[in-house]
Amino acid sequence: MKNIYLPVSGKIEEIIPQGRDVSLFRVRTQMPLDHAPGQFFMVSVWGAGEVPISVASLSGEDNTVELCIRRAGLVTGAIHSLKAGDPLWLRGPYGNGFPLDVSRGRDIVVVAGGIGMAPLRPLIKWFMKKPEDVGQVTLLYGARTPDEIVFREEMEDWKERGINVLLTVDRADEGWKGHVGLVTGLWQEVHSDLKRATAYICGPEVMIKAAMGELFLFGMPEERIITTLEAHMKCGVGKCGHCYAGPRYICTDGPVFSYREIKNYSLLLSR
Amino acid sequence: MKKIMTVCPYCGCGCGLYLHVENGRITGTSPSRAHPVNRGSLCVKGWNAHEFATHPDRLKYPLIRKGKSLKRATWDEALNLVAARLGEIRTKHGPDSIGILSSAKCTNEENYLMMKFARAVLGTNNIDHCARLCHSSTVGGLAAAFGSGAMTNSISEITDASLLFVIGSNTTEQHPMIGMHMLEAVDRGATLIVADPRRTQIAEFAHIHLRHRSGTDVALLMGIMNVIVSEGLVDADFVRRRTENFDPFEEELKRYSPATVEGITGVKANDIRRVARIYAMEKRSMLFYAMGITQHITGVDNVRACANLVMLSGHIGLPMSGINPLRGQNNVQGACDMGALPNVYSGYQKVTDARARRKFERAWRKKLPVNPGLTIMEMMDAARVGSLKAMYIMGENPLMSDPDLHHVRESVERLEFLVVQDIFPNETSGLADVILPAASFAEKEGTFTNTERRVQLLGRAVGAVGESMPDDGIICALAEKMGYSMSYRGPYEVMEEIALLTPSYGGILHHRLSDGFGLQWPCPDSSHPGTPYLHRKKFAKGLGTFITVEFQPPDEPPDEAYPFLLTTGRLSFHYHTGTMCRRTAVLEREEPECLVEINPADAERLGIRKRTRVRVSSRRGSIEPRALVTGRTPEGTVFIPFHFMEAAANILTNPATDPGAKIPEYKVCAVKIEKIGT
Amino acid sequence: MKNEWILEKNHLSYWLRQLRKERDLIGPLRDEGKDIVFRSVEQIHEVILDSPASLPSPKEFLIPQYDPMLRLKVAGHELAFPSRPQPVSPDVHMKESFGKKRVLDLMDKKKRVIFGVRSCDISAIRLLDRFYLKGYRDPYYEQRRKNTLFISVVCNNPDPTCFCIGLGTGPYLEEGFDIQLTDLGNRYFVQAASAEGIKTVRGMSFLFSRPRKTDLDDQYEVFLSAKARFHKRISLESPRRMILAGRLKDDFWQKVAARCFECGGCVYDCPLCTCFTVTDRRYPDGVERIRLWDTCLFKGFTRMAGGILPNEKRVLRTMRWYYHKLIHYPETLNKFGCVGCGRCAITCPGKIDMATIATEIKGLALNGEEE
Repeated sequence: MKNIYLPVSGKIEEIIPQGRDVSLFRVRTQMPLDHAPGQFFMVSVWGAGEVPISVASLSGEDNTVELCIRRAGLVTGAIHSLKAGDPLWLRGPYGNGFPLDVSRGRDIVVVAGGIGMAPLRPLIKWFMKKPEDVGQVTLLYGARTPDEIVFREEMEDWKERGINVLLTVDRADEGWKGHVGLVTGLWQEVHSDLKRATAYICGPEVMIKAAMGELFLFGMPEERIITTLEAHMKCGVGKCGHCYAGPRYICTDGPVFSYREIKNYSLLLSR
Repeated sequence: MKKIMTVCPYCGCGCGLYLHVENGRITGTSPSRAHPVNRGSLCVKGWNAHEFATHPDRLKYPLIRKGKSLKRATWDEALNLVAARLGEIRTKHGPDSIGILSSAKCTNEENYLMMKFARAVLGTNNIDHCARLCHSSTVGGLAAAFGSGAMTNSISEITDASLLFVIGSNTTEQHPMIGMHMLEAVDRGATLIVADPRRTQIAEFAHIHLRHRSGTDVALLMGIMNVIVSEGLVDADFVRRRTENFDPFEEELKRYSPATVEGITGVKANDIRRVARIYAMEKRSMLFYAMGITQHITGVDNVRACANLVMLSGHIGLPMSGINPLRGQNNVQGACDMGALPNVYSGYQKVTDARARRKFERAWRKKLPVNPGLTIMEMMDAARVGSLKAMYIMGENPLMSDPDLHHVRESVERLEFLVVQDIFPNETSGLADVILPAASFAEKEGTFTNTERRVQLLGRAVGAVGESMPDDGIICALAEKMGYSMSYRGPYEVMEEIALLTPSYGGILHHRLSDGFGLQWPCPDSSHPGTPYLHRKKFAKGLGTFITVEFQPPDEPPDEAYPFLLTTGRLSFHYHTGTMCRRTAVLEREEPECLVEINPADAERLGIRKRTRVRVSSRRGSIEPRALVTGRTPEGTVFIPFHFMEAAANILTNPATDPGAKIPEYKVCAVKIEKIGT
Repeated sequence: MKNEWILEKNHLSYWLRQLRKERDLIGPLRDEGKDIVFRSVEQIHEVILDSPASLPSPKEFLIPQYDPMLRLKVAGHELAFPSRPQPVSPDVHMKESFGKKRVLDLMDKKKRVIFGVRSCDISAIRLLDRFYLKGYRDPYYEQRRKNTLFISVVCNNPDPTCFCIGLGTGPYLEEGFDIQLTDLGNRYFVQAASAEGIKTVRGMSFLFSRPRKTDLDDQYEVFLSAKARFHKRISLESPRRMILAGRLKDDFWQKVAARCFECGGCVYDCPLCTCFTVTDRRYPDGVERIRLWDTCLFKGFTRMAGGILPNEKRVLRTMRWYYHKLIHYPETLNKFGCVGCGRCAITCPGKIDMATIATEIKGLALNGEEE
């Protein structure tokens, strides 16, 4: 009998710090892990436990996956204590992933807050890989402070490759010359017709809620306002019950949902 | 799959539960449906009681200190060392240079043996346990008034009461199964009066909730009694026939008019009048109290005031009528009954009473010490000044549970020799010279006495973990090493000795406890069915005594430098110093960190929001918990649970004690709050 | 030929004794004159044939309260002497060289027969099958389910708290059981429905005889008398409609939630509640990953990174329990998440169990108060 709870061991190849308390872990496994943007792995350190972490990279041919992890609790703390060469255990990928058909031929607005950039990074990479599939891609990214911006160097590269990258912070520091304020204050900088575009959103729940509601008011159809949700999870496969949201389980029915799917469940966003 | 009936190891309710055993491993817990206390229910701690017993942190073999670290040793090595060192210290400094802490978590038999060990083997009355810190005021206060310091009624009577007066008890969270009975009584039409500064869950069901200032209980109760007297609601017949010393008491009452009391307590004079009328006129009235009454420098007076109130209204000596101190630990009632106290043998027979002493001397074949010994707080003081040289601590964790922890740590560090006997390593065992691994409740036989005096049999579910041994076995082995024979075939033989020497346990024998759900003491002989309620026809000491009390403010009220009143207590998911519950996954997940409860008005003034990190400081130290902003706690007061070593509330608490009971004032001290996070 | 037989009561002990040779025989036994609990049977004649609802439900034999899942072996790695329970300090967790460690599967492969189960519990297990074996199949559940034979008894002794009769989940079943017994006085009417059940009876066919027409009549009479014994007749349809129509005010749920003791008892005892948590235990020679019963009634159940509590308000959690059983279950599995076993009514210290609340909601509906 196949044991869905049995993790496989991977080896940490590289740890790249990304702002305060956040690092990108590149993990190599012996077998390919075929994952799509928006999916997640249950990542574990034996003795500390398992946590769901969304994939931050595109599935490649080299059996690696990149995981962007913030030090927030017991397990993520344990992961942060690891060094390159140490084992990290994975099972997955789980979850539905981002729908890509709703983006075909359309302008794209990616809205991210804080570490919410992680699951959206492979999506941006995908759009860069297939520029002919989509129109203008705009990234609105907000962090609390400039030193909490993740993938900052990479974003320069994204800019060069035609992505309209707009950054904002809650609190500026001395060197900061960009925007200050909420990401949802940047809509006027988006040079796309929001009615016809597709949005992918991830970040703190308040931000998701605000962004989804405002895009809907701008006339973006509900099914093209897409988000991915975070939840407490113990199994990742729809059994443990922790990630419930109304009648759905975020792990198996999500974590990616459209505004249409969740707006009627007042239970979802306030759970 | 086996299921073994046993008694919950957490609070004093004494719920019946089953431990499930599969392949020699404990795999679950379930409630007993027929048990008179829990009737098919359990609280969350009871439901999860199976988990800690199998936790890998369990102490599995004896450890002996070698320099900075503790090294594995054999039982022989460890016990030889303990026997030799205790022997040396006794010879050099006298038996009173050794102090013993017994345990309200251990069985009656183990507590009895421990007190026998202290008195007969070591020759000291320096034995005490955590009842000192929770209900010593009850033991003293009620004994003086009635002759017996225990809950007068049975838990199963609660549902039939028509009035419940709950003062200083967060019942639904701390004694959930008693809370369940109270809620049912209210559903059936009983009136519920709650007096508590905090808006606890039980207070939400109260018909009247009195939020008096912490530490003003005497004034509040005197005010209520003042109204009862002035409005002619006294049960004069009862006072005349069953009590004594009423007149001087009545005289004192005159000073506590409702208006005066309103000024002291903050409770409206009218509410005081309403409560007085309802309480006095209703029959089948039960009064309940817990730590909110006892843990004050006026703890004994608070208890006396409660006792006066029930006598004044004649609410005692009948079913559903009485005064009910809710005991906190699973066997704190038993540990007191067994005489793990510095001044009494089992059954509260005084060490200063020559006849009692001679009885024990004859039974134990040993000359016994004459003078009462030291209480916990006095032991700590004696250790600090160097007159106490060694301590043997069984199943207690004073480095978390005692007030003013910095002081306690200094005291314990000065000991020449410290033995800790426990199931888990804890703060105290970190300083031990020898650690003796004990078996948990699931691995031993014996009895616990719950808060309603029900002596119940434990069931042994599995064998002891590793090389650990039940506490009674360890004590006996140590006694043998020290040249005193303690030989029993099992706890049942110890209980026979207890029955022989303890009038109230005279008929309590193991074989009688296995059918049904134990026996409630007093149970003087082997045909006696036990006593569901006390003081029938007459008080244990004959006439009940009105003891005059006087309101005294707390030792350390808030002032300009330390403007907040700190009160401490427990959370429903945790228990005491956390050694068991914090090793239980769900319980620890629910409350993983210390939160200080602060009123929204105070929080706003200080710019504190939910989860802001704050520094709480008293004159004795400071801790840095996060904030929980809630109207549950009144303005000017903060509440901190004492379970968390990361932010131990007892670093802050005031070691000032009640002069009689030596109970520290955990419920009131002055602190200041500073915001340190965002 | 129908899979129906007659078993003389005299032969029951013999039959159970034979079953016990291959399986752990678990049945309801009276514990020292106090409670009746399900545990391994030593003296077969002590089995109680008309037991009240067991606490907890028989789900404990399929998803035990404490269930070891996996074990990572680490040789020669002595962990530091722990001075505190949690958390594990990150520097002492296992570090192993890549690709060499061994994870053991701690699957419970014991074969069991559970005797004397009630129909409502069998109905619950059939729903559990649909939950645990749909999509990702839970291997621990599946393994135990495969190895466990349930012999249920037509319930002729309902507790005052029982209400399976309004839900079609008891007191007897037409299908879906392994083996169902109906007590006909001196004999049992035996029905087998699952392949394992049929095989078990046929394997000892010499104990069983074919039923006659009168046996069928007698069985039907027991069905009728069983139905007549219920105190409670509760429909969950009306509460469901009231909730869906938005006719319950927040105030209603506030009052319910105020009575919740957060003991978890309703979830632990419920034959249909499935939530679990997973925790790692560190031993000197390795780490064990175990799962334990958990409940949605606790605020920490949904705690997110950084200590955010999406369900901090108790009322949201209390509502969740009812919504899950009355609304979400029907949406996803087309059945109520309740089989009317009445255990929550026995165990809830605040008396806010399914039967009580459903009755209260129905009362509101009849009075039109919430219109």
